[in-house]
Amino acid sequence: MKDFIGLRAVRGAGYTLLLLLEALGYINHAWKRRRALFTQMHVIGTQSLAITCFFMLLVGMVFALQTGIEFARFGQTSLVGLVIVSAMVRELGPWMTAFVLIARVGSSMAAEIGTMKTSEEIDALEVMSINPVSFVVMPRLIGYAIMGPILTVFGTLVGVAGGALVANVQLGVPLADFLRFAERGAEPLDVYWGLLKSLVFSLCAGAVACSNGMRTSGGAVGVGRASRNTVVVALTLTVFLNYLLTSFYRMVKRLVAGIL
Amino acid sequence: MQTEDPHTEALVDSTPVVEFTGVCKMLGNRKILDNLSFGVQRGETFVIIGYSGTGKSVTLRNLIGLMRPDEGSIRVAGEEITTMTNKELEVMRRKFGVLFQSGALIAWLDLFQNVELPLLEHSKMSRRKRAEIVQQKLELVNLWQDKDKFPAEISGGMKKRAGLARAIALDPELVLYDEPSSGLDPVIGYEIDKLINRLRDQLKMTQIVVTHDMESAYTIASRIGMFYQGGMLQIGTPDEIRTSEIEEVQHFITGGRKGAVSRRSTTAILKGRSPTLSARLEAGHDEAHTATETGGDAAPEIMELEPEPSPPEPENKP
Repeated sequence: MKDFIGLRAVRGAGYTLLLLLEALGYINHAWKRRRALFTQMHVIGTQSLAITCFFMLLVGMVFALQTGIEFARFGQTSLVGLVIVSAMVRELGPWMTAFVLIARVGSSMAAEIGTMKTSEEIDALEVMSINPVSFVVMPRLIGYAIMGPILTVFGTLVGVAGGALVANVQLGVPLADFLRFAERGAEPLDVYWGLLKSLVFSLCAGAVACSNGMRTSGGAVGVGRASRNTVVVALTLTVFLNYLLTSFYRMVKRLVAGIL
Repeated sequence: MQTEDPHTEALVDSTPVVEFTGVCKMLGNRKILDNLSFGVQRGETFVIIGYSGTGKSVTLRNLIGLMRPDEGSIRVAGEEITTMTNKELEVMRRKFGVLFQSGALIAWLDLFQNVELPLLEHSKMSRRKRAEIVQQKLELVNLWQDKDKFPAEISGGMKKRAGLARAIALDPELVLYDEPSSGLDPVIGYEIDKLINRLRDQLKMTQIVVTHDMESAYTIASRIGMFYQGGMLQIGTPDEIRTSEIEEVQHFITGGRKGAVSRRSTTAILKGRSPTLSARLEAGHDEAHTATETGGDAAPEIMELEPEPSPPEPENKP
């Protein structure tokens, strides 16, 4: 019974949710733990900036190339800008950034907390009456939640730039044309929605990473398992949430359009 | 340095600082603690010895509230631990200092910050006052010159000393040690022992040490308790333990050269398992019958033992 996989998953999900809420409840400790918070923001954000930008640049370039080939058949290559901006702002920016962060930050976060757990550091904190959720989880989670959307902004911009570059050089779309259509790709609401999605993904991935770390047992193997589970669960969860959020957004938009 | 308020002063020696009464704890389907009872007097160093993996650390974990016993009562300075809420436990734990097996220093803080951590979290001291205390504690364990190093940069012995400095940063009434000399060479192990003695003699701290290093136990103990099959088999001064007439105690303290444990237990110990209560009871009325049998029958006996215990895990308290 205790190894029944479904039950374990439910228990894990419940623990993750509680951990997320508890960590958010300690947000008032953020000032006291600002040093840890800034360190985490640096590790999660600043150090991920280069890889995120590189990643998004290539995603934007490939995306422009592929859509450009199709659009060329209808002689509409200048529409590339519109497609790229709408896709980048609404979908690719937030999710691809989340993807990079899960791979780079989520896995290491789980491993780090998992190691703390197996080397009795978490116990030591508890014995010193220092709540590990406040001391370890909160700065990581909040740092993640702050830096996720910020990286998304950078990633999206770089992605669009990559698209523009390919459109200009390989597809022969003048920059002016690209920008003219790009403007119509996204309205302000789309931008906010994209950032909100990024925030949701960051909180999710952060909570999954911390929860897997905190539930680690069984030495090096356990740490490996925690790190692996984090990547699998966080990716599945964010991609699923992405679909739900997009559906919801579309529904709301149509509803609003209907009323107007 | 010691924080002695008159209230606790009045209780000296009359009531034990730590009192276990009839504590039972099941992990999985194994009874780790079986009606465990003992008391620790103020100012003494109480050493718990016993075979590896039999529940000595579980005893400590129950004492600091990382685990809760199934039955029985644990009193610390007269207060019942077992029924405390998490909030009350947090307050109670400030009276404890715990030295974990690996030191358990926080990896991203240097030694100074590690020792400062409890002060930072639980006192409203000025930065200067904190620095003063940290210096005092680090000098006590001879690590002041290494205060800027990170845990990854220092040796195991230094980690333990730093862990000790952190454990006593808030001048706790009670210091607990989980295997203080394990993984250290004899010289450094002896250094730690001397530190433990110094804390007892100079700072009058009450200490509980879990160890299986007999050399160390004789050096530091005021009293030794032999932990066996979930309870205390014998409690006595180092001399009483050394000259103990109980077979199992002799077997343990001489490293198996003298004395004996019942055959089932021996197999269990060699297999790295702890003899369980059921095995012990069975061994009682099985002895005559197994003694007549040949050694070839050892194999099925091993099979009869309880399944491999999983390592004790701290209870998750989300």
